[in-house]
Amino acid sequence: MSKRIVVDPITRIEGHLRVEADIENGKIKDAYSSGTMVRLLEEILKGRDPKDAWAFVGRVCGVCTSIHSLTSVRCVEDALDIVVPPNAELVRNIMFCAQYIHDHVVHFYHLHAMDWVDVVNALKADSKKTSELAQSISKWPKSSVGYFSDIQTRVKKFVESGQLGIFANAYWGHPAYKLPAEVNLIGLAHYLEALEWQKEIVKVHAIFGGKNPHPNYLVGGMACAIGIDDVSGINAERLAYVGQLLKDGKDFVEQVYIPDLMAVASFYKDWGAIGSGLGNYLVYGDLPTNGYRDLSSYKFPAGAILNKDITKVYEVDLKKEDEVQEFITHSWYEYKEGKDKGLHPWKGESKINYTGPKPPFEHLDTTKEYSYLKTPRWKGHAMEVGPLARVLVGYARGREDFKAVVDKALKDLNIPITALFSTLGRTAARGLESTLVAEWGIEFYNQLLANIKNGDTRMAEMSKFDPATWPKQAMGVGHTEAPRGALAHWINIEDKKIANYQLVVPTTWNASPRDHKGQMSAYEAALIDTPVAIENQPLEILRTIHSFDPCMACSVHLYDEEGKTISRVSVLGD
Amino acid sequence: MQALTETNKVAKPSTLILGIGNYLMGDEGIGVHVANVMSQMDLPGNVFVLDGGTGGFHLLEYFEEFEHVILIDATLDEQEPGSIRTIKPRYAKDFPAAMSTHDIGLKDLVSALQLLNKMPIIDLVVVSIASIQQQGIELTKDVESQIPSVIASVLRLLQFNKGEKQLESTYVF
Repeated sequence: MSKRIVVDPITRIEGHLRVEADIENGKIKDAYSSGTMVRLLEEILKGRDPKDAWAFVGRVCGVCTSIHSLTSVRCVEDALDIVVPPNAELVRNIMFCAQYIHDHVVHFYHLHAMDWVDVVNALKADSKKTSELAQSISKWPKSSVGYFSDIQTRVKKFVESGQLGIFANAYWGHPAYKLPAEVNLIGLAHYLEALEWQKEIVKVHAIFGGKNPHPNYLVGGMACAIGIDDVSGINAERLAYVGQLLKDGKDFVEQVYIPDLMAVASFYKDWGAIGSGLGNYLVYGDLPTNGYRDLSSYKFPAGAILNKDITKVYEVDLKKEDEVQEFITHSWYEYKEGKDKGLHPWKGESKINYTGPKPPFEHLDTTKEYSYLKTPRWKGHAMEVGPLARVLVGYARGREDFKAVVDKALKDLNIPITALFSTLGRTAARGLESTLVAEWGIEFYNQLLANIKNGDTRMAEMSKFDPATWPKQAMGVGHTEAPRGALAHWINIEDKKIANYQLVVPTTWNASPRDHKGQMSAYEAALIDTPVAIENQPLEILRTIHSFDPCMACSVHLYDEEGKTISRVSVLGD
Repeated sequence: MQALTETNKVAKPSTLILGIGNYLMGDEGIGVHVANVMSQMDLPGNVFVLDGGTGGFHLLEYFEEFEHVILIDATLDEQEPGSIRTIKPRYAKDFPAAMSTHDIGLKDLVSALQLLNKMPIIDLVVVSIASIQQQGIELTKDVESQIPSVIASVLRLLQFNKGEKQLESTYVF
């Protein structure tokens, strides 16, 4: 008989995710992923002005605020047939790139690194050896013996004071930690460096979006006026500052993030065969270079890969009713036409019907409904979304930029391309695409400067801003690639108001429950066969789930029982 | 509200009034509602008001930038809805045990500030709410009616810390 492990919550930030896993002979035999919180943004939006939707959806999550706002203005622009000026597209792209490198670096150092880097062990490191190692893998200037010994002293006092706080949710000393003390110390030092750095790059959003968090967007373009000599607008000084931030961001990715990622990965190559999961990957694409509507111009190409076959990429159409559909067989929702029907988001419904146990409970009845997440499918297939999907689709489409970074990493680590279909692959892909995105951000920035130099300062297309110009009915879809994966919003506008609004977010693709056919989604599938060395310290489960960068706040549309905010791991059954 | 960036900063403001919460989750958003009201008020020039949303690490810049931060947030502490408490937290663990859905980010942020040795003086004004089961942007009467009292608490804290800036700023390890 297998034992069931419950990990709840599993995220270190925002929102609630619960995983129940059955263990047999030290490996996961079956797994269930549940979103235990609901926000129901769809209901809040009904009846509102479509032009205001971006401000509400931006509030769905404190972590990826701007990306929902971007998707929202795009779905309204699609419905009303508005084409934004090139500068607005460039500013959106630059904000996208800044968010990516912020999000990916914060994920790596502040959410995921503790799964691989043993902080307490770092205190045992020899600072001289650490300095030599750091200098051998990067030209990053902060690498002296004194620097590392100072970090050790600071953290030692913190640990000794009993205020482990930030590092409390981890299993220090677990046998699955494999890094030498010196690599642990580099990871720890850069945890602190990344904290300081991340607060800088987000200023790009404050400059173009007027504020951060929750920058301003605008249906038709962007709300920032360009005037080189303008005191209050985007002037020469601010533009130069953005350029500096993007350059610093690129340096941090190249000189800190990537060397650390490769150093850590080289000790965990066995994770190239763990956490494979579905093998189906879906990308909507983003970063247009010739307008949002020209999909072929995207830096991140769209497409779908099935069964790990990277010789073939399928086209994706978000408007076709039989492509993206959401199922609720195992979700706490009800549809007018019954539990087993799939609905395209334009016809989507968000009526909650909670049938689960009254909290606090020991475990969920996974034969029935067990999540507040719906289950999205693409042409009936369960799909993984996120950095790995994007990198694989770029690679499979033969794009030289993707091939260059992927092939180099595979060569440096001496692993085959098949090792990418894994927990390690997901974590590596996030870093690899960061190097691309950091570079692209600077390209977009230079393009924006060139446009301004040529006298083009248009930032918004306002001819359809007045609702009197709108048709009686309109439908649109807006898509992007959020840092954690494919994101789209579908809108139905009737009589100038929102009649229906559906968000299908990346974590819903990945963390959803089983569908009507019993097919698992990405989290559940990836956990199968994952080894678990110590049942009440399921570090391995955290590694695989965190490799997807879970962010539950937006994927679940209330809250579980009050006050349950402390990580809980319980082992049930015998 | 004006953005705080390197380029448009004139003088370094000394106090940040930071409303935290999710605007979409009823009473949970009380901190943001208070920030919105206070941003329209005539406050001393060295006081800056920010709607912090549910942000965690994003807000580090602001904590480093100011000598004094007054946080306003909702809490689920089984007190009467609308009860107001002021707390001077020294460590992440001093924050109320159940502080709404975004506590993980905020507590991590406080620990990070300690580790970086950059803790400002923090005052925390918490408003008790009954639940965050609600959806929508409206506040319940119990909580909404307390907005003037929350603002009065914040103003008292502003007054108290005047001239005593370094009071507890020496958080050492």
